[in-house]
Amino acid sequence: MNLTPEQQAIGRRNFLKAVAGVPALAGLGAAAAISGPVRGGPMRIGFIGVGGEGRVLLAQVDPAYATVLAMADINPSQLAKADDVLQKQGRRAATHYADWQDMIAHEDIEGVVVAVPLWAHADIVCECLDAGKHVLCEKMMAWDVAGCERMRQTALKNRKVLEIGYQRNYNPMYQAAHDGIIKTGLLGDVYLSRILWHRNGNWRRQGEPPSKDYNPSKWGYPTFEHLWNWRLYKRYSRGLIAELASHEMNIVNWFFGAEQTSVMGTGGIYRFKDGREVPDHVYATWEYDGGRTAVFSSIESNAFDHYYEAFFGTKATLILQGEAEAYLFDEATGRPATGLEVTPKGSGPALEASESRVADAAGRGAGASTTPGDRLLAYKNEISAFCAAVRTGAPLLCGPDRAMGSARACIMAVEAIEKKTRLEIPPPVAART
Amino acid sequence: MPTLSRAQGTALVLLRTLIGWHFLYEGYYKLVLPAWARGGTPMAKWSAAGYLAGATGPLAAPFHALGAVAGSWIDLAVPIGLVLVGLSLMLGLFTRAGCWGAMLMLALFYLSAIPLTGTPVPGQEGEYLLVSKNLIEFVAVAVILVSRTERIAGLDLLLPSTRTPAATATTA
Repeated sequence: MNLTPEQQAIGRRNFLKAVAGVPALAGLGAAAAISGPVRGGPMRIGFIGVGGEGRVLLAQVDPAYATVLAMADINPSQLAKADDVLQKQGRRAATHYADWQDMIAHEDIEGVVVAVPLWAHADIVCECLDAGKHVLCEKMMAWDVAGCERMRQTALKNRKVLEIGYQRNYNPMYQAAHDGIIKTGLLGDVYLSRILWHRNGNWRRQGEPPSKDYNPSKWGYPTFEHLWNWRLYKRYSRGLIAELASHEMNIVNWFFGAEQTSVMGTGGIYRFKDGREVPDHVYATWEYDGGRTAVFSSIESNAFDHYYEAFFGTKATLILQGEAEAYLFDEATGRPATGLEVTPKGSGPALEASESRVADAAGRGAGASTTPGDRLLAYKNEISAFCAAVRTGAPLLCGPDRAMGSARACIMAVEAIEKKTRLEIPPPVAART
Repeated sequence: MPTLSRAQGTALVLLRTLIGWHFLYEGYYKLVLPAWARGGTPMAKWSAAGYLAGATGPLAAPFHALGAVAGSWIDLAVPIGLVLVGLSLMLGLFTRAGCWGAMLMLALFYLSAIPLTGTPVPGQEGEYLLVSKNLIEFVAVAVILVSRTERIAGLDLLLPSTRTPAATATTA
């Protein structure tokens, strides 16, 4: 009998479902699952880009999971700072490279962590994948949708692990919120998510070139200012939407279990007219199927709200603030009613979330009981999961498919903001798993 | 030595094979480390140091002393010994040497932690008083040794020294 792969999969599932619990056949299943350890020690990795974000990741590499053999950066000052990170943690020094291609060619590494300006993501990641390296790439996935798709296809073609660095996916608090509140329907029907990231200050960084004659033009940056403040220039950056909103969009898509269908945007350079090319105030509204909407704002003129993701349901409201605190408000009483308990289990990201009415013995009203999540733990979990995926095939929480959803939404939002209009977001090119 | 029935011979060879697998996998597992559990957790390189340092009973002192030098030859000798014994018993090759090797190792394992308390020990399954699984396995290997299972089945049958009239130890 000729069965299609789909029919085979369905048939296999139906069979296993039907025979579940039958001891003799359960034994067959157990036999099929017999397996020992997977050979290999810590993963051998290199870093491409050890600026501020790269060093955050570098500091969170668990030596049990990975050994950093080499680091590449076109700015020698950054390499020196990265050395300090390794030294403070008592880890072996890593070999320096100015050219990441030299590092790939000469070092015996299995994977790379890429934390370079956004415009370079697609080219570097694809070349690394083609060179047989696994890749953990900082967010946002790529500067444009074509770059994202190229990265995804290159990873598939080379059968290499590609993870995109949305560390919230590995934050125990977010996992607990998703599994304990969103999945269980405690919020009721959610039609609105409000996400924001407000700051009061200039995004422009002050810094000195590593030497007087330092010239980064051969890497595509006409001046040191373009390299140092790449986030402010359109050629290299997608501005606040890519650097900030994409993190939060990733969470909204995860919690909604959907991707956006359209986006409206506005914004501009309103406060810091200092030669930058990306807006310092942006506002975007994304629509999802089912009447669901996500509203985002990022401003550089007031930090009162700081940053959070909020989900407003017919039964309750969930607020995840600053990657560290979680609040759940009962819609019926309009006051804090439920505590979210976050209990890390060992070094892994597994958690327990529980709904528990909290009131102290004095009878005071139940507070928004939260246990601060560990932001840095999320980075550590992310890198460890990347290594585990390479070694054992353990599933990633933010592979290219999930990352592409938020990247597409953000790239379209940038265009909508520039045009101050509403744009339809095309569905994915191909059905993705 | 009385002849064995086919069922007795088969049972003894089966017992030898299973004990052989037990040794082989214990050794292989230690040699594979450092490795990763399927769930994605790294497992450190194996060392006898922890086991030896945790030795208890009247003979604990020499094992503690051995633990002080573990990390060198002992960490390699133990897993290789386990693998060689395991292969010997499973294949029935140099079976008598394999049995002696197995008994030596089991005796060391037993003596390093003779169960004298008779109460549950954290991290150890079951409760033992004097008789532990190591001791039982030791006796099982002794039975295999004296039963001359290499004359029933195994690669030893290909060796001239084993191919004697007595090799037909089983009856129909």
